[in-house]
Amino acid sequence: MPNQNQIANPQSGQLPQVKGPQMNDRDYLNDCLATCKYLTDNFNIAVREASHQQLYDDMVQILNETHQSARDAFNLMFQKGWYKLEAAEQQQLQQAYQQFSGYSTQFPYH
Amino acid sequence: MPSILSSKPFTQAPIPEPPKVITTKDLSYLKDALSWELIAFKKLHAFAQQATDPQVKQCLEQQGQMHQRHYQKLLSHLQNNNTAVMATIPQTQSQQQQSQPQHQMQ
Repeated sequence: MPNQNQIANPQSGQLPQVKGPQMNDRDYLNDCLATCKYLTDNFNIAVREASHQQLYDDMVQILNETHQSARDAFNLMFQKGWYKLEAAEQQQLQQAYQQFSGYSTQFPYH
Repeated sequence: MPSILSSKPFTQAPIPEPPKVITTKDLSYLKDALSWELIAFKKLHAFAQQATDPQVKQCLEQQGQMHQRHYQKLLSHLQNNNTAVMATIPQTQSQQQQSQPQHQMQ
């Protein structure tokens, strides 16, 4: 029986039937995504440490574009069915809501 | 000396914002970032040539081109004229104080 909470496209990418040691299209995209994640982590620090405004502006733009391309790679992987998502149980959502809405007594702003 | 310092409001700082100078720290980050970008676009171009699915191929090639553009943008910051900008920076209080004891010793 299929998982009711699963969110995934059918695998439409051209992957080899028998997977060997060679890199396939899915591996390439996965590595592309990993590279973007690595770059955004590191650029975030470089941006924070930049001295003058123009260097900061250019690095922020590079950071934003790299975030966008990570998103593009993720979206394509999802479309190809190479990325599965899972919906949380409704009950757990409600429990968390109850817990955190109860913290409103701690809010300093009303 | 302290009276001159206290009479100047904060808004009239001799250097109001960081000048367009590449600092030693900037240089270290720029060199790192250029190395990351270079390997990224070389790898993505190689991947794009190997990929079979046209959409995957296009995605990899576009991202490779983006990283090469980023490389060029970062590289342009290494052509900054630090010498010229530094010549326009006013001598600050701390630098003057540092140079005074040297004169006294001579």
